[in-house]
Amino acid sequence: MNRNNFMIHLALAVVLILIAAFAGQLNRWRKEWKHHVRLMPAAEKRQVSAAEEIALAEARHDRPELLVKFKNGVSAETIDAITSRLNDRVEDRIENDPGLEAIDDLDNADVGELVKTYSALPEVEYAEPNYEISLDASSYALVRPTDPRFEDQWALLNSGQRGGKEGADISAMRAWAVTTGSDKVVVAVLDSGVDYTHEDLAPNMWTRPANLAPYHDDELGTIDDENGFNALDANSDPMDENGHGTHCAGIIGAEGSNDIGISGVNWKVRIMPLKFMNAGGFGTTKDAIEAINYVIDRKKAGVNVRIISASWGSTQRSRALEDMIRKAYENDILFVAASGNSSTNNDRNPHFPSSYNVPNVVSVAALDRNDQLASFSNYGVKSVAIAAPGVDILSTWLGNQYEEKSGTSMATPVVSGVAALIVAQHPHISVDELRKRLLESVDPIPALKGKVATGGRIDAAKAVE
Amino acid sequence: MSISKEDAVEKARKDLAQRLKVDASAIKEQSVEDADFPDMALGAAEGDEMSGQMITRGWRIRLGANGQTYEYRADKNQVRLYKFKGKNYRI
Repeated sequence: MNRNNFMIHLALAVVLILIAAFAGQLNRWRKEWKHHVRLMPAAEKRQVSAAEEIALAEARHDRPELLVKFKNGVSAETIDAITSRLNDRVEDRIENDPGLEAIDDLDNADVGELVKTYSALPEVEYAEPNYEISLDASSYALVRPTDPRFEDQWALLNSGQRGGKEGADISAMRAWAVTTGSDKVVVAVLDSGVDYTHEDLAPNMWTRPANLAPYHDDELGTIDDENGFNALDANSDPMDENGHGTHCAGIIGAEGSNDIGISGVNWKVRIMPLKFMNAGGFGTTKDAIEAINYVIDRKKAGVNVRIISASWGSTQRSRALEDMIRKAYENDILFVAASGNSSTNNDRNPHFPSSYNVPNVVSVAALDRNDQLASFSNYGVKSVAIAAPGVDILSTWLGNQYEEKSGTSMATPVVSGVAALIVAQHPHISVDELRKRLLESVDPIPALKGKVATGGRIDAAKAVE
Repeated sequence: MSISKEDAVEKARKDLAQRLKVDASAIKEQSVEDADFPDMALGAAEGDEMSGQMITRGWRIRLGANGQTYEYRADKNQVRLYKFKGKNYRI
């Protein structure tokens, strides 16, 4: 080899070494990156199940790879022993998040099965596929928030956790690729009030704009409704003393992707808290009417309150309440109501307000994590419109806590939340169009045939298409 | 203030004695069991009451007197008499 050839080969070798080093560094950066969103290709415009999501992730890897978070106190030696036992190996330890390990599978096992295997171990906090990441959001259709308890929110992403059925969810991640909500949309939570200081709710709470005059009622006088309205005590403080209203509010709009707790159906929204039920979780028809009257007044004053979420009811019919809900309709406000928890047919034994024949009412039944009508849920092919997840629903609770609760109370704010996403996407939609769009945005569920009018579970992704 | 199971049984016993106009010692505790009720009025709403439609954990208390059985429903917030002469009462 002459001197010139030697120099050319030497230069080529240096360039190749530099490229390899740079590629390696890129790989390390990718693994050490604290993800805030995970995005997946938009080619899958149809419904994507959790299994398909995992398969998509798998297809993008030369070999399956997991991110596994081991619980505090689990030693590196124990982790190595576990991975070795499963014929895997720790590829990388994420130094700034102790216990978080990138794991290579050495025997080409199915990623979904690996996730299940690791998730079932007592030493493991969570396990998930190592999704590919791209910054080109315009061409992607799945968005996952960073909320640490998101994986417990089967209603938003059912990956089969705790014996559930993969894909039996509202397709929230696909919806969020289109919209995560808007702080211009106000949802009234007519309930036991809301803990408006909850850390996962506070950023999304409605407050009366400075340029809007305080609420005035001829009988109650002027009320400084800075944080909403309390019809129970006829004052300005809608603080929740029960927890029910706080739970419903979190389902609609716990702030999303904030690294705290859970994600609401809306990452951004404005929750208007209204209190008419007491610490026991019950209240009177008259106070419910007062609260709806308040909502209509604020709407007329310019507040963009488009939805009332009503996770309550009884078998007592009230013409006055029905008339007030009709007034809400005339003011372009949707009224989403719980179908009730007596396992009965509302077509025969009506439940109110969900059974009022008013055009803005959407009656909601509850589903479990296997797409079965919840054992307690009321139904009615004529009088119940739609179904939504309502069993073991994790949401916000008093005192910065989170609890799982069940009921058509929990299914109702899921639908209210999806309605708010629609309004965020279509700000000028009328209440009639909004209701129609909701009812057309379902995934047909065999168990609901003959049970609810649409025969389906609400699908947030379809709703915002 | 949170009501305990024992408090709830005692309240129910006193209430029934008053309603039946008998001595509390004539009220027999037949059973007290944990129960899931369909709503926050424990499936025993009074009149025009509206309640949260959330499954609520509480206690079903059955008391006996004069050869009859009476059902009370309670949770940490309340005690209710279920279908006494066809009506529900919050006590």
